[in-house]
Amino acid sequence: MTTIADELTIERRGHAGSAARRRTNFVIFLGPAIVLTILFFVVPVIIDIAVSFTDLSRSLRISEFTTEQYEKVLRTDRRLSQVIGLTFIYVFGTLAIFNVTFGLILAITTTAIRNVSGSFFRGVWLLPRMSPSVLYILLWLWAVSPTEAGLVNQVLMQAFGLDAPLDLLTSAPVALIIISNGFIGASMGMIIFTAAIRGIPEHLFHAAAVDGAGTFAKIRFITLPALRWPISFVTIYQTLSLLVSFEYILLLTKGGPFYDTTVYALYVYRRAFESGQYGYGAALALFLIVIGVVVALIGWRFFDMERLLQRPRIEVH
Amino acid sequence: MIHWKIGTAALLCAALAGGSAAFLSATPLLAQETVKLELWSRQDPSGPLRPGNVVKAAERLNKELAAEGSPKRVEVAVRESPAKGFDDDALQLLKVFGIGEGPDIFIAAHEWICAFQEDGFVLKLDDYISKYPQHFGTIFPSLWSSAKCPDGTYAIPQDAEARMFFYNKKLLREAGYDSAFVDAMPERALSGDLTMDEVLEIAKQVVDKTKAQYGVLHRPNKGPDYIMVFQAYGSGFVDPETGKLLLERDKLAAAFGWFERGVKEGVIPANNTAMEFDALRKEFYTGNAAFWMYGIWDLGSVGFPTYGLPQDEKAFFADWGWIAGPAPQKGGSPVSLTHPIVYAIAADTKEPELAARLLGHASAADLNTDHAVTTTHLGIKPEQLEDPRYAKAWPLARATDLLKITKFLPNNSQFGELNGIIYAGIQGIESGRLSAEKAADFVIEEASSTLEDVIVK
Repeated sequence: MTTIADELTIERRGHAGSAARRRTNFVIFLGPAIVLTILFFVVPVIIDIAVSFTDLSRSLRISEFTTEQYEKVLRTDRRLSQVIGLTFIYVFGTLAIFNVTFGLILAITTTAIRNVSGSFFRGVWLLPRMSPSVLYILLWLWAVSPTEAGLVNQVLMQAFGLDAPLDLLTSAPVALIIISNGFIGASMGMIIFTAAIRGIPEHLFHAAAVDGAGTFAKIRFITLPALRWPISFVTIYQTLSLLVSFEYILLLTKGGPFYDTTVYALYVYRRAFESGQYGYGAALALFLIVIGVVVALIGWRFFDMERLLQRPRIEVH
Repeated sequence: MIHWKIGTAALLCAALAGGSAAFLSATPLLAQETVKLELWSRQDPSGPLRPGNVVKAAERLNKELAAEGSPKRVEVAVRESPAKGFDDDALQLLKVFGIGEGPDIFIAAHEWICAFQEDGFVLKLDDYISKYPQHFGTIFPSLWSSAKCPDGTYAIPQDAEARMFFYNKKLLREAGYDSAFVDAMPERALSGDLTMDEVLEIAKQVVDKTKAQYGVLHRPNKGPDYIMVFQAYGSGFVDPETGKLLLERDKLAAAFGWFERGVKEGVIPANNTAMEFDALRKEFYTGNAAFWMYGIWDLGSVGFPTYGLPQDEKAFFADWGWIAGPAPQKGGSPVSLTHPIVYAIAADTKEPELAARLLGHASAADLNTDHAVTTTHLGIKPEQLEDPRYAKAWPLARATDLLKITKFLPNNSQFGELNGIIYAGIQGIESGRLSAEKAADFVIEEASSTLEDVIVK
């Protein structure tokens, strides 16, 4: 009896000990990450919600708690519909043309050619991402300068005999922000798609070749199905990233001319920091958070991310 | 022994004497109290002596305090802000005050002063101004109105200037206008004979008949100069009875219409607001534009030193000149704008009296003339006109003519924000996104939804 009782006690202690150890391990290993997540992701959202219910303005003083900012967002702000429409064009334009399609083309072409050349071209397309944003945009400003000294105008005037220099910043600002952001965004898709293409077992291509498949048939029936997961990931990730980033637009067009390139995130910045309407900026930012969450959930559902995350879709040897 | 004792005594006496001498001489120092006053100033190459004169004034004030037998001495610590313009600087400073880290003294553009007053950040100065007539008594009465808020005076004018339309006489002559016509333009503008639309017409002739690419250029960011056009077309922006912001749709549309016609005629570039400040100046000073809407100090800061415009008065006026903002129609009133920069004292400074006296010394005629002649700004006191250095700086004397018709930006706490909306309207017109009518509607809608107490007519 005594022996059994002792054994039980020891076992219980052992359980208790392992539970305590698990808790300690949890605190040691996940604690710092949880603290950082709370500090930098949860607290700012809470502060944003709190500020959006105040009249915090240019002198950082709160005189009352109010829902006035939300009334402004929903009723009186006439710029907002235009800003949301433009954001939609910018995000999906950049995604569809560059971040996914062009990234995919780059990945397919650079994996189809010799490895050295492929790596070289991928390296070239990584350059915009590696350049400091200010330097990258300075080069763009020179390229699209409306004078004869601008790179685009030099080429068009000297090689194609154009009479007067083009002013792309005024005549095609939306296209410019899509292209300048797309050149950077394409490289991320390119790297992820390249890695995925390299993970496709080579014998599948050989088998397809034996069956008489051409290049396009191989891409359509082997490469693209294997890239479903990376394409879904890049689409959702880049959508969220494009929704909230505005630094290249601010540097290139300052959101202009007029409000033509003021996307939602830049609009929040202009309201809060250029006009000193911090309470209103916070309310607008909260909507951006909500839009981000909704877009992420729709993407999750649309691409069936849950199923994709369950087991590898590529056979790995 | 005796020798040793005498030696010791001598040493002791010497030590005591030396010690007491040192103590006595140190006593006033020990009793002296250094008052540190922090001065907020924007890093601004067009006016380095705005803070510089306050630092120099501390020496004068300290001498005065020593003569009075006061134990206090003033030390000025300059805190420079890297803001791009006075609007950004004011917004930054409002935040700094908001978190309780404000300076004791600050330099600001006059139209922002009531924003500080509204939040209780700035000290009312009427009592100090009347207490120290030796410092403030002779400042031009007209300048004081730029420092006033509804219930009193909250700042001390630091300088003034004149805004105008500079023009390139050579280009006008090349376009076919004779010298008599070109030289008579300033007089015609002042008498109301030259109109805003005639300026566009002349500019068009220049663009059509010479190699110059541009007719009229203006600043590429929010600021005061283009407000001249709105004032010419009758917008004062403040209701005189209530002091609230006033927007009159027809007058706004008329002013925007001038910009619209300018762009349609190919006189104002569609991308004026997208160009860099330096690039615009370069276009004008190197003979690629007929008119440049800006301020007199630009000659001293950029025109003379960077582009080598003739510094001799006669040589300058042979090929260059300026006109007041013309009247909207013949016989109407011309306009010019002055944009004083002001000194102000924080409401919570521990030494308001010393701060006021310090600014009094910084406003001394000789120090202010140093600033005026080195940066081509207008002085604040009549006695400066007698200074030979001031008389020698001919742009100042010539620009003083414009002070007869000059106006200020309104001292309304929300005008800075309204000006941003007006600028966006100009950008909308020039880039072809808005018509003049729609720009007026845009300003009214935007101001009504984001600002408080806006009267719309």
